[in-house]
Amino acid sequence: MQGGSSGIGYGLKYQARCISDVKADTDHTSFITGTLSLKEENEVHLIRLSSDGTELVCEGLFSHPNEIWDLSSCPFDQRIFSTVYSTGESYGAAIWQIPELYGELNSPQLEKITTLDSHVGKIKSIIWWPSGRHDKLISIDEQYISLWSLDFSKKAAQVQSQESAGLVAQSGGAWDPHDMNAVAVTCESSIQFWDLRTMKKTNSIEHAHVRNVDYNPKKTHILMTAEDESGIRIWDLRKPKVPIQELAGHTHWTWAVRCNPEYDELILSSGTDSTVNLWFTSASSNNESMSESLVESPTRRSDPLLHSYSDYEDSIYGLAWSSREPWIFASLSYDGRVVVESVKPFLSRK
Amino acid sequence: MEVDDVPLDDKAKRMRDLLSSFYSPDPSMSSPSTNSSSKYATLDAINTTSFDPDQYMNLLVHKSNLEGLLQRHVEMAAEIKNLDTDLQMLVYENYNKFISATDTIKQMKSNIVGMEANMEQLLEKIMSVQSRSDGVNTSLFEKREHIEKLHRTRNLLRKLQFIYDLPARLGKCIKSEAYADAVKFYTGAMPIFKAYGDSSFQDCKRASEEAVAVIIKNLQGKLFSDSESIQARAEAAVLLKQLDFPVDSLKVKLLEKLEQSVADLQLNVEEVSNASVDSNHPSTDSSPATAHEISVREFAEAIRIVSHLLGVLRIIWKDVLLLEDVLPEAALPDYSLEAAQAAVKLYVTNKFSHLQSKISDALTKAHIRQKDSGDDYSLQVALEGGKKAVLQGSMNVLLDFRQLLDDDLGLLVKLRDSIIDWVQEGFQEFFGALDGHFLLLSGRHNSASQDQGLTKGILDDKVLAGLVLVLAQISLFIEQNSIPRITEASSQLIQLWFLILNKYQYYVMNMGLPLFLEKSVGFSGQLCEKFLHLYIKMTTQRISILQKRKFTATNWVKHKEPREVNMFVDFFLHELEAIRSEVKQILPEGLRRHRRADSTGSTASSRSNPLREEKLSRSNTQRARSQLLETHLAKLFKQKVEIFTKVDFTQESVLTTVVKLCLKSLQEFVRLQTFNRSGFQQIQLDIQFLRTPLKELAEDEAAIDFLLDEVVVAAAERCLDPTPLEPPILDRLIQAKLAKTREQNPISP
Repeated sequence: MQGGSSGIGYGLKYQARCISDVKADTDHTSFITGTLSLKEENEVHLIRLSSDGTELVCEGLFSHPNEIWDLSSCPFDQRIFSTVYSTGESYGAAIWQIPELYGELNSPQLEKITTLDSHVGKIKSIIWWPSGRHDKLISIDEQYISLWSLDFSKKAAQVQSQESAGLVAQSGGAWDPHDMNAVAVTCESSIQFWDLRTMKKTNSIEHAHVRNVDYNPKKTHILMTAEDESGIRIWDLRKPKVPIQELAGHTHWTWAVRCNPEYDELILSSGTDSTVNLWFTSASSNNESMSESLVESPTRRSDPLLHSYSDYEDSIYGLAWSSREPWIFASLSYDGRVVVESVKPFLSRK
Repeated sequence: MEVDDVPLDDKAKRMRDLLSSFYSPDPSMSSPSTNSSSKYATLDAINTTSFDPDQYMNLLVHKSNLEGLLQRHVEMAAEIKNLDTDLQMLVYENYNKFISATDTIKQMKSNIVGMEANMEQLLEKIMSVQSRSDGVNTSLFEKREHIEKLHRTRNLLRKLQFIYDLPARLGKCIKSEAYADAVKFYTGAMPIFKAYGDSSFQDCKRASEEAVAVIIKNLQGKLFSDSESIQARAEAAVLLKQLDFPVDSLKVKLLEKLEQSVADLQLNVEEVSNASVDSNHPSTDSSPATAHEISVREFAEAIRIVSHLLGVLRIIWKDVLLLEDVLPEAALPDYSLEAAQAAVKLYVTNKFSHLQSKISDALTKAHIRQKDSGDDYSLQVALEGGKKAVLQGSMNVLLDFRQLLDDDLGLLVKLRDSIIDWVQEGFQEFFGALDGHFLLLSGRHNSASQDQGLTKGILDDKVLAGLVLVLAQISLFIEQNSIPRITEASSQLIQLWFLILNKYQYYVMNMGLPLFLEKSVGFSGQLCEKFLHLYIKMTTQRISILQKRKFTATNWVKHKEPREVNMFVDFFLHELEAIRSEVKQILPEGLRRHRRADSTGSTASSRSNPLREEKLSRSNTQRARSQLLETHLAKLFKQKVEIFTKVDFTQESVLTTVVKLCLKSLQEFVRLQTFNRSGFQQIQLDIQFLRTPLKELAEDEAAIDFLLDEVVVAAAERCLDPTPLEPPILDRLIQAKLAKTREQNPISP
């Protein structure tokens, strides 16, 4: 594996925006992705990396009634996932279950466990608690943040609490993996932090144009954001005024940012300039002894950008690390191409 | 083996695999990939250890017809033959090797046979040599002893002779006033007098002591006589001390004198540092009106200070040299060297901080003035001021240092190396500090403007963006002009020093200079790029906020039919125009690639129009289904357009980059929406209208065309019914818009 085009490709039929790691699948490295086509029949693809790591195999292909704007896999059941979809005029969200006998690939129907309606505005994203079994879900629409309690046996979901954030145009968010009561929500001019017990805002980072946000899975209080103009910033929530570190990001917008689930110094970002950048940063781990870090190097201060994957044709909106093999990540460009790459060659170099 | 080296065809590869599976007991070692062709799929078992011929035969007969069987037979026969020959080859090769190995071993054996006898002979001979040498040693031992004894006696006799001669010799020395020699002789004989002076050499000792007494008397007289030179007096003092003469009383007298000189010295040093501090005062409270006058005064003062410093140092050094002669123990040169070091260093650092404050003054002053008046020319004023400050300031500094270094005063010669170091360090620190200061200037205002309300923020942003642009240009200026000039000047200096410094130091300098150049130039190159990017970022951010508002506020799914070009296009063009005027003031004009001059470019641009029309009309008839595929195919065949290229320091390059980034943002915003037919047509109209003015603004026509098309394609993809406007209608709407703008401001075309 050397050079830029070391990745393993997989083509979707239509354009697509979202890809998610199937975290609950502990036997295989799998990803789930859905297409975004206004006029064609949309599909959900379950993709698996073959055991020798040289091929991407389509493990399941299901039709989905509407174009998919957001998709995330349930962290404790590999057959369950959520989608946010649009019919062109209205938006909706649902929880789906992959049918048990999907071995024969003749486009079986997905079982819809439940839809999450009772939304007022455009729903933007559905979040599962990332660190384990938790029967709650969060949905974020433009104005409201809602906490759902999920009952798989009755196949029902109920709004447990709902609160309006005001007219701030919420666009997405992330659930704190260290605290199941804390959620970060990205709004037009700030990032707001909610306590789910009281459904009140607890904190905020006043910072405009945040596209994407991700918690550091290993260290509490550390958060990274991707922004249109200013690249990537890393924040310590105890000091929300100024970021701890800033990374250059991308030539155009930085769309998504993901912290590696195991080695939290590794940060991946994708942008509308058709590149995926791999960063190495020690700032998020400087409150711990350096000896624990993955890569020991005297030149760590030099350039945080380890590598730029540029073998893409279109903007990259979907990005996911594999939690089973944390040196592997999947990226999805708008033209529907999934590329799975390993970051190993760029680690050994340092 | 040779088999490994030859590139293999399929058959040979298979053969090798068969052989390797034969040699290795593990069947998994044979690579599975070679047998993957479907023909052998059922017959894989032939290469495994668990091969059952009967079963294989059955399977074969069962599966294939006669023809197939025959063919298989022929194939297999050929294979077997090949295998046989290969096997033979292998066996033959191995046998060959085996034979040669046996030969080698045989040879080795025969060689070893005679060896033991030879070794024994050798040992014998060595023994006999050793015994002979022992014999020679013992026979010569006695004679050697005798010779040594004689030598010792002779030495002793010589010493005796010296001591008996001492009084006469001292007398001679006194006569010729060679006191130094006399003292040397006497101190040399002293130990012997101490040991035997009371017995055998009594007469001798007495006579020499008398002579020495005369010497001491003479020396004392010399020391206290004012007519003698200081050097002679110092010598006398030293000799006296060597003769164990109690010199305490002398010391007191001398030290008094020294103290006075040292006090003088300190006074001078303080004066110098005060003077150099003073020179910085005027810069702090300068007002713009008298700035020129003050700078002239400063310059004069600076030169005066340098010469003053030199003068003071010269005086001090002279004194110090004298003092050193008189009393070497006081280590005065070291002290004074330290003091001078401190003074010069202080001077160097002061010089640099002064320079920096001057530059930042020039910048901030311009900035404040700009805020007050909003004058268009203020950017240029700031730029010129900054440039002048940087260049003149650093040249002045270098001139001063040169003066300092050209002087061949002993003290400064000693300090020369360190001064060079300080100047280099100073320049590096200076540029580093400048870097930090610039960043501070841009960064502080950045956060400040974010705090303010958005409406006010946009206005402030504009001013700030201008400042950032000025900074970028100044950084470039530093990189392109002043650093080469400064380094040129300092390299002249360095050449001068080369004449003085010896070779060793020359090499050190040689290594030091490139490092210095690299550091300072490298820094500035990064800096100016940083600023340029900051500028582009700030301007595009402004526009993309506009775009975002437009796109999120409009309901594209329920859009009404397009009647005219949207207002936001006007805003967009207006913003770009503002950026152009800003950029025009600061950045140089690039070599515009003229359309006529560039033949390939012209054909591309003339062809692009019909192509586009064609594409749009085709999508009209065929509609969406094949559209995605089509655009993908088109993208494949179209040369991949590099959207994000490197930014140069020209008006066009910056402007083009801004336009490109904005169009890319536009595409992204479009992709986030869903359109009905009218919404799509509105986008189509707006983009069509933008085409001409954008191409006039930016230099990379192909990329702009590509991006504009991309926006339309993105809108078509996100549209429920992508029927484009008929070309005549499109044309009419655009003409209407053009007429309207012409009406509003008739001067502009």
